Amino acid sequence: MATIAVPLGAQGEQQEADALRRPALSDYLRWSVDHKIIGVQYGVSAFLFFMIGGAMAMLIRLELWTPALDVMVSGAAYNSLFTIHGTIMIFLFIIPMWAAFGNFVVPLQLGAKDMAFPWLNAFAFWLIPPAAVIVLLGYFVSPAEAGWTSYPPLSTLFSGDGQTLWALGAHLLGISSIMGSINFIVTIFNMRPPEMTLWRMPLLCWAVLATSIIAVMATPFLAGALTLLLLDRVAGTTFFDAAGGGDVLLWQNIFWFYSHPAVYIMVLPGMGVLSEVLSVHSRKPVFGYRMVGLSSMGIAFVGFTVWAHHMFTSLQPELRIPFMITTMIIAVPTGIKMFSWLGTIWGGKIRFTSAMLFALGFLSLFVIGGISGVMLAALPFDIHVHDTYFVVSHFHFVLFGGSVFAVYAALYHWFPKVTGRMMNERLGQIHFLFTYFGFLFTFFPMHVVGMLGMPRRVAVYVEAFQPWNQLISFSAFVLGFSSFIVIYNVIKSYYHGPIAGANPWRALTLEWQTTSPPPATNFADDPIPFEDPYGYGTEASGAYLDAVDEAFSGAQPARSGSH
Amino acid sequence: MTTIIDQQGKPKLGAADLRLKNNRLGMTIFQISWIMVFLALIIVNWQLRFSYSQWPPAGVAPFDPLLPSAATLALLLSSVLVRRGLQTLRRNHLGGFLMRWRGAMVLGLAFMAIIVYEFASVSDAAMATQYGVTMRLMTGFHFVHALAILAIMARVYRGGAAGSYSGDERHSWPVEGTAKLWYFVTLAWLMFYVVLYWIR
Repeated sequence: MATIAVPLGAQGEQQEADALRRPALSDYLRWSVDHKIIGVQYGVSAFLFFMIGGAMAMLIRLELWTPALDVMVSGAAYNSLFTIHGTIMIFLFIIPMWAAFGNFVVPLQLGAKDMAFPWLNAFAFWLIPPAAVIVLLGYFVSPAEAGWTSYPPLSTLFSGDGQTLWALGAHLLGISSIMGSINFIVTIFNMRPPEMTLWRMPLLCWAVLATSIIAVMATPFLAGALTLLLLDRVAGTTFFDAAGGGDVLLWQNIFWFYSHPAVYIMVLPGMGVLSEVLSVHSRKPVFGYRMVGLSSMGIAFVGFTVWAHHMFTSLQPELRIPFMITTMIIAVPTGIKMFSWLGTIWGGKIRFTSAMLFALGFLSLFVIGGISGVMLAALPFDIHVHDTYFVVSHFHFVLFGGSVFAVYAALYHWFPKVTGRMMNERLGQIHFLFTYFGFLFTFFPMHVVGMLGMPRRVAVYVEAFQPWNQLISFSAFVLGFSSFIVIYNVIKSYYHGPIAGANPWRALTLEWQTTSPPPATNFADDPIPFEDPYGYGTEASGAYLDAVDEAFSGAQPARSGSH
Repeated sequence: MTTIIDQQGKPKLGAADLRLKNNRLGMTIFQISWIMVFLALIIVNWQLRFSYSQWPPAGVAPFDPLLPSAATLALLLSSVLVRRGLQTLRRNHLGGFLMRWRGAMVLGLAFMAIIVYEFASVSDAAMATQYGVTMRLMTGFHFVHALAILAIMARVYRGGAAGSYSGDERHSWPVEGTAKLWYFVTLAWLMFYVVLYWIR
């Protein structure tokens, strides 16, 4: 039976006027326990780090324009450049960026007034700025040169003191991540309205739940590994030094036991975003909702059994095949999601909004990253392309083609809820074109140069690879330029975008059943979720959405494509 | 437990009950999460054993488990007292709670004193190998946790002496939470104790 519940988030006139007052800039610069403020704090700071890490990527590509060492002063300087680039992008951009959307959206989707532990939430965020300062300081003092993976003995015997600061900063970021994840799990389990069973929960919440489970189980291993690294560097222990009875592979085992699941920390929320965006902008229910939710948990579980594929070339031979098999198995839950998304948009009334374009971009690029992942899972092929640009291409297809495209989809989708204004769609489409083709021509050719044998992490290469590298570098500059389009769009839309209204996309999840931006307590009263968060195309859902529009008619909703 | 009824007639927790429910689940998740660090150190110990042909390495005397066993017994008894103290508080018997809590702290201190002695007694021969180094790493790491949580227990004791807690579980979360942290310290030590002193 359809439940046509009149949303209880409807406001009185005064309340609505208060709600429409956007937080002042100063609200974002100080301690706040409001999950929405914290979400924006995470988002803006993460994007700032994205720009810094991106600028470093541009320098890397500039260096690789010619086969000789001509931009960086030495090979060591190049080593420290790609080390800090990877560190920033993973620890300071992608992971905190998902905390941004999780913080802003998840409590709203659950109809909650805030996260379960608001103070802890703020504390988790405020650990990030000092951690970032420590990591970046290390780069300018005496930089780490061991890559973001920090393998000993490079990280113990050869890197400068910046490596110690790197480990300290990563420790703080890990603690922040654990705190945030505990908060998400408790919020998702305990703060849902009684009508919202787990099987009626939005898929972003499922994805954040799976991500958080990975984070709380895996991040402590990183803490253990970092503690040993610090002791080896400053206390004279030899955990990773064979000469002192230690074992260099010890780091790889523990580090990858965290860092491979961490790949899913970086991708799963994006998959949740995709389920939201594809369904809303196709006006169709998510195909195989339960399987999508369960596949998130499946990825979380299987993700813990694959870490040693990062050590194929150094692993005992008898362990290689089992890890090859588990790595291939993880393609199954991922494939379930892909088919679900295709089934979701199939026959839908697709609206090619910017959010939808980026979601479709994710879909097409992540397939390539997934397929190259399965290729790398195959032991013979992995050994052939080990430490080549093929690997660089693979993980950028997953982490940029996947995560960053999902970040942009999420930005265009929820910007109206965060700010109360729509983003400029034309600029969004231009941004998409530059990003998509810039990305494709940057990273797809890396498959080729990788298979031809170009090693990664080198500033000098054989001349035969120069045409490929110039194509890659030129495309990378286009990709870098695309970031400025979205920055311009955000600033322009924040001040001059059309008023969004409560529910501009006519979406069924609860974050749209309150004003944009939401008031401090999110909802004037406990909202009642619709029976199916993705039940588009039914009379009942139409009536529910009309009731929402009517309840919030004070701010006229702007329809997609109407601006 | 008080409840309010929402618009659809389903029971919904009051704010204090929800806070308690959140605290309990949050603590459980924290414990599951943080025990992983201890598990990671056990894996470190395990993997480093394979750097040697025998464990303990040749020329290094194995650690005597006698004193650590006494420390383990003290810690277990301390945990039992913490549990009994919490149960006593639930019955609104503040004096009984304080007495048991005090006993738990004394036993906790005894445990820590023995561990400090063990830490300091590692021979130079052992310290020249990963056998001694991992022992100090693990006991030292555990000691820091035990010390921090014992300090929290002392703080809770002061709160109890000032009458801050009652038998109502919603008003005694600091006691319950601290007790759960002490169980955590006990469980973590039991894992280390078996690995360090009994598995050769």
